[in-house]
Amino acid sequence: MKPTAFEYFTPSTVQEALQLLESQGDEAKILAGGQSLVAMMNFRAARPEVLIDINNIKELDYLKEEGDEIVVGALTRERTLEVSPLVKEKCPVLAKAITHIGHLPIRFRGTIGGTLVHADNTAEIPIMAMALDAKMKIAGPSGERVLKASEFFLTYLTSAVEENELLVEVRIPTFDPKTTAWSYVDIARRSGDFAIVAVASILTLNTKGVCRSARIALGGVAPTPIRAKEAEALLTGQKITDSLIEEAAIKAADEDNVDPDADYHATAEYRRAMAKVLTKRGLKEAWTNFEGSN
Amino acid sequence: MKIEGTYTFKVPQQKVWDTFNSVEHLQAALPGCQKLEETEPGKFDVFLKIGISAVKGKYKGKFEIADSQPPNSYKLMGGGKGLPGYVKGEAAISLAQEGEDTILTYDGDVQVGGLLAGIGQRMIGGISKMMLEQFFKNMDKELS
Amino acid sequence: MSGEKKKWVGTSYKRKEDMRLLTGRGTFMDDIMLPNMKHAAILRSPYAHARLLDVDISEALKAPGVIGVVTGEDVKQESKPFPCGVTIPTKYYSCAVDKVRFVGEPVAVVVADNRYLAEDALDLIEVDYEPLEAVVNIEKAIEPGAPVLHENIGSNIYNHRFFKYGTDWDTVCQEADEVVKWKFNFPKYAGSPIETYGVIATYSPYDKAYVVYNNYQGPFVNHALTAMALGIAENKMRWIIPTDVGGGFGCKTGIYPYCALMSIVAKKTGVTVKWIEDRREHLMASATCTDRVTYMEAAVRKDGKILAFKDKAMDTTGGYIRAPEPGCAYRSTGNHTGAYDIRNVDREVYIVATNKGLTAPLRGYGCQELYFSTERITDMAAAKLGMDPAEIRFKNFIQPEQMPYTTATGGYYDVGNYPAAFQKCLDLVEYDKMREYQKKARAEGRLVGIGLASVTDPSVTNIAYVAIGKTVEERKNERDKSGSGEAAIVKVDPLGGITVICSTNPQGQGHETVISQIIADEFGVHPDDVVVDSVVDSSDRLYSITTGSFSSRFASSGTTSIVKAARQCIEKANKIAAHLLKVEVEDIVFEEGKFFAKGKPEKAINLRHIAGAAHWNQSNLPEGMEDAGLFGTSMYTFPTSQPPDDQDRVNSSNTYGFVAEAIVVEIDQETGQVSFLKWASVHDAGTILNPQIVRGQVLGSIVGAIGGSMYEEQAYDENGQCLTASFADYLCPTAMEMPKVDVDHFESPSVLTALGSKGAGEGSSMSVPPAIGNALADALAPLGAVIDELPMTPSKIWHLIDKAKAKTN
Repeated sequence: MKPTAFEYFTPSTVQEALQLLESQGDEAKILAGGQSLVAMMNFRAARPEVLIDINNIKELDYLKEEGDEIVVGALTRERTLEVSPLVKEKCPVLAKAITHIGHLPIRFRGTIGGTLVHADNTAEIPIMAMALDAKMKIAGPSGERVLKASEFFLTYLTSAVEENELLVEVRIPTFDPKTTAWSYVDIARRSGDFAIVAVASILTLNTKGVCRSARIALGGVAPTPIRAKEAEALLTGQKITDSLIEEAAIKAADEDNVDPDADYHATAEYRRAMAKVLTKRGLKEAWTNFEGSN
Repeated sequence: MKIEGTYTFKVPQQKVWDTFNSVEHLQAALPGCQKLEETEPGKFDVFLKIGISAVKGKYKGKFEIADSQPPNSYKLMGGGKGLPGYVKGEAAISLAQEGEDTILTYDGDVQVGGLLAGIGQRMIGGISKMMLEQFFKNMDKELS
Repeated sequence: MSGEKKKWVGTSYKRKEDMRLLTGRGTFMDDIMLPNMKHAAILRSPYAHARLLDVDISEALKAPGVIGVVTGEDVKQESKPFPCGVTIPTKYYSCAVDKVRFVGEPVAVVVADNRYLAEDALDLIEVDYEPLEAVVNIEKAIEPGAPVLHENIGSNIYNHRFFKYGTDWDTVCQEADEVVKWKFNFPKYAGSPIETYGVIATYSPYDKAYVVYNNYQGPFVNHALTAMALGIAENKMRWIIPTDVGGGFGCKTGIYPYCALMSIVAKKTGVTVKWIEDRREHLMASATCTDRVTYMEAAVRKDGKILAFKDKAMDTTGGYIRAPEPGCAYRSTGNHTGAYDIRNVDREVYIVATNKGLTAPLRGYGCQELYFSTERITDMAAAKLGMDPAEIRFKNFIQPEQMPYTTATGGYYDVGNYPAAFQKCLDLVEYDKMREYQKKARAEGRLVGIGLASVTDPSVTNIAYVAIGKTVEERKNERDKSGSGEAAIVKVDPLGGITVICSTNPQGQGHETVISQIIADEFGVHPDDVVVDSVVDSSDRLYSITTGSFSSRFASSGTTSIVKAARQCIEKANKIAAHLLKVEVEDIVFEEGKFFAKGKPEKAINLRHIAGAAHWNQSNLPEGMEDAGLFGTSMYTFPTSQPPDDQDRVNSSNTYGFVAEAIVVEIDQETGQVSFLKWASVHDAGTILNPQIVRGQVLGSIVGAIGGSMYEEQAYDENGQCLTASFADYLCPTAMEMPKVDVDHFESPSVLTALGSKGAGEGSSMSVPPAIGNALADALAPLGAVIDELPMTPSKIWHLIDKAKAKTN
C-alpha cells in the first residue's frame, strides 16, 4: 500500500522540533529511523498528517561515557551501539541484545530513541532499558524531565513521552564485566524476527561467587517489558547454583505481572513456559560464561 | 477473542448503575469518544477517535444496551467501522455490592476485522482489555 | 545425425539470465511503461462473508487525480462468470457482485494518475455490507446449519465423488492383518514469489480488442477463460508476458482474475491501466494450495504389504472454485498410490466452500496433501507391525522389472528403479548409523527422529484430469478433454542465427539457458550464440490451453517440442545441404555444426551457408521443398495424454520421476524448536539437463516445503479474518532456517521425452512435508505423541510434549 499524504519538516535543532510539535498539533509524528513508523504508514495503519524528520538533528547523535553511565543521544543508531568499543567494554549485554534486533540493514537505520518510544514489549532495547534501570531524558515545551525505565513504559506501544515532547537522551548504567554475569536470550520463529519471549539477565557477584544483586527483565509476557522482582530477590545474597537457577526460573514465570498474550504464533501457556525456560537458560549462560572467563 | 475481568468501584451499586446508564457520563468516559447520541432508548450512535501509538483511526458505529436488569446487569453490544478496519464486541456486565464497594464483572467477546486483524493480532486481546480498563477508570472519575 | 553427442546438455553451463537479473536490468511487469498509463487500486472486502448492499463511489469520483471507478455492477455487465469444471460452478466474477465471500475479495477499482491518489480515493468509497456468519472449518462447512456461501449451489459442496479401483475395501480388509487409520490435516500455504501479480490492460474500442500484459505462467487456461468470461474471441485479447517474471510457484497459474478485471477497467475508463499487486493483497487474495482434511486408512498384511488405501479427502478452494480446480483433488489421480504396488483404492472426495482465500495449482499441486496422508499412514502401519519404515517401503515398491507400470488409478509409469533410488538416499543419509545415533540419543532422553518419504513425482499434466471432477455419466454429455502440448519454433535467420520461441515463459527456472544448451547440441553451435525469446506474446507464437510453466512440464514437454522443432529444421538443412553438395540426402553427414558429403569433410558447409541458400536464393531450393527459409515447429503432445476411461482411470501426468527424502531431526523438549541434524534428498528426474539449475530447483522446492511444514500458513480466525497478511506473520524461511541438504540423483531417462528428462521443479514440494511429518513423529514416538497436521510450530510441538508428559504423570 502507499502512505497517505503528509507534510514534511526537517528541523535541525531540538528546539525547532519542539516548536513544530507544538504548532502542528497531535497529527504530527516524529520520524527517526522509520523502521516501525514507515512500515505502519505503508500499511495506512498510521496516517500522520505531518512528519517531523529529526534525522538532521546532529545534537542528538552522541555516545560518551560520563562517570558510571554511558550517555547516548536519542538519534544514535542501533548499529553504532552494537559495535561501539565503549558499549562492548562497559555494558556488553546491551551490545549482545542489539545483535538480536532484526537484520543488519534495520540496525543501520533504527535509533535507540525510536525503539524506546515505540515501546514494543518484545523489543530488545526497551527490555534492556528495564533490565539496566536506564534513565530517559525527555524534552518538552516546559523544559526537560527524566524518567526511570519503570516509569517510562506505560502499556502496549505506549511510552510516557507526550505528543508535544521529544525523547533526547538515554543514560545507561555501566558495569564491570569482571564482577558481572550477563546474558540475553530469546526465542523467535526465525532468525531476526520479533521475539516471542526474551530474557535479559545481569548478576553482580562478589569475589566468593555470591550474587549481590540480580536483574532479570522479561519481554513478551506483559504489556511492557517487566522485571522479575521475586526471582531477583531469590537470587540476591545467594551463591549461584543450578537448583537456585531452576527455582528462580519457576518463580519468574509465575510472578503476578506475568500475563502473556496468545496469538497465531504461540499460546499464552507456551509464552509462560518459555519465560521459565529462557530465564533458566539465560541465567545458566550468564553464569557459565562468567565462570569461564574467571 | 474473549476478554474478561473485574473492576472495583468504591461507590454503592445503585450509583454505579445509574452512571453506567447515563449518556452524558458514557460519552465522557468512552475513550476517544467524540460524539454519543441516543437514537432510541438504549440504542446509540457513536463516533470514536482511538488508537494506540501511531495507529489511530476514526470509527463510526452503533451500540446498544440490552437485557437490562437494574441495578444488577446488562449486555453491551456494538461495533464500529473505520479505515483501519472494524471492531465488533459484546460484553455481559454485572454489578455486585461488596461492603462499601461495587464489583463490576465483565465477560465478553471482541472481534476485529480488516487491516487491524492482519497486523496487530498479538496485541488485540491485551489492547481491548486495556481500553475497557481505561473506560472503567474514566467512569470512576465520573463517579467522584 | 544431430543431437547424439551431448556436449552442452548435462553440464552446468552458467545461466544466461543471471547477469541481467543481478544487475537490475531485467524487464518485469512494473518496468513496463506505456504512454498515458494510469494506475489502479482495488478496494477489498474486510468481511469474510457479507451481502453487498451498496457501493457508493460518488465521493471517490470527485477525488483528485481520479479517472474512473469500476464496481461489481460494471463487472457483471461486462463479463460472465469464469467457467469451471464442476457440475454447478460458482458465479465467480473478477469483482464481488452480490456478496463477498472472503476477506480481500475485490469490491471496486479506482483508476487515478498514480497509486497514491488511487488509494486515497479508495478511502472515500462507502460500502454498505450486511455481515453474515462465516465458516472456515472444512468439516463444519458441510454440517447442517452452516452458512451457505453460494445460493445457486444451495450447499457448500462444490464437488463430491466416489472412486473405487480394484477389489472393494471390505473384501480386502478380510485378507488384511491390520487396518491402520488416522485423520490428517494439511495446511493452506502459498508460494510467495518475490514479484507479486501485475497487469497492464488497454482496450481499443475500434477493434474491440484488448492487450493485456501480465506475469502469468504462460497462456495456459487463463487466456482462454478470460476471453470466455469477457465474451470475446480469444484472438481479440493479446496476451503479453514480459521477459522476466519474478517467480511463480504455481500461484500465477489457474485463474488470475485480475486480467479480466483490469481489462474491464480499461474498457470502462478508456485509459491504459496498470495494476501492481502489493504484498498484503497477495497474501490475502492471490492463491494458495488447498487445505485438506483426510481420513486415511491402510489395509496391511503382517509382512508389510499394503493391500489397499482408503481415504476420504476434503479440500476447500475457498470462497469460490476456479479452474483448473477441482484439479487439487484429481491432479494426483494417476499417482495416487505413489511408488507402491497397491492395486486397490477406495476414495471419497469432497471439495468444499469456506470463507477463505482462493486456490491455484501451487508447486506440488495436490501431491503434498496426498502424500502427507499416505506416507504418514505408511509409517504408522510400519510402527503397528513393528517394522522399520524403510523396510515397509522396500516391501511395497513397484519393482523395476514391472516397468512400464500402469497404476490401479490409470497412471502410466514408463521407467524407474525405486528400490535402487531409495537405497541411494538411505546410503546418503547413512541410515543405519543414524538409527544407532538415535538409540544413543534416546537413552539420554533426547528427542531425535528420522523421517523417510518415497514418492513418485508426476510432471507434465494431462488436462484430462480435470474431467474426473464429473461423473462418467456427466462426461458422456461433454466433449473430451485431454493433452499436454507445448510448442516451440526454432528458426534460423538469413545470416544463420538461431532463435527459439516457446509457448511458455519461465519465472526464473533458467529456460533460456537450458534451451540454449539443447540447441547448441542439436546444431553444433555455442549456446552463447543461441537467442531465446522468453517473452510470451499470443499473437506471434503457437500456444494452447495446455501451454505454460506449471507441473514441471518444461523439462519434459517443453524440451521435447524444442528438440523436435530443432530436428525438423536440421532435416530441412540436410536436404538443402544435399542439394548444394549435389549428393543424396542419405550421404550427408552433420557433425560439429558442419554439413558434408560422406568422406569429403574438407568440402563442408556450415549453417550460415545453408540459411543463406534458404533465404537469399529462394528459387534454388531442393525439389519438392515449397517453403523458403529455415525453421522447424512442433507442439508435441504426449500420446499417453488420453481422456479418462469409464472406470475413472486417467493418466493424469506424462512423466513420473521419483523422490526420496531422509531427514534426521532433533526436538528441543523445552522449547519445541526443531533442528535438522542431517538431510539426504535423492531425485530421479531422468536425464539431467543442467546440474546447477536442477540443484537450484531441488533446494528451492525443499525450502518452500520447509516453509509449508513449519513456518508458512495462510491462517484465519473463526470469523474468516486473515491473520497472516504481512511478512511479519506469514513466515517464509530465510537462509538462516535452511539446513544443509545432501542432494543426489538417480537418472532413469524417460522413454517418452526427447532427451530422457522428466520434471524436476516440484519434487521435494511433495516429499518434504510427509518426511518432516514422519521425522517429527519419530522423534516424539517415545512420548506417544502423534503428528497429524502441519505446520508444526514450536508452540504446537511444545503442547504435544506437554500433553504427552501430563498423560504419563
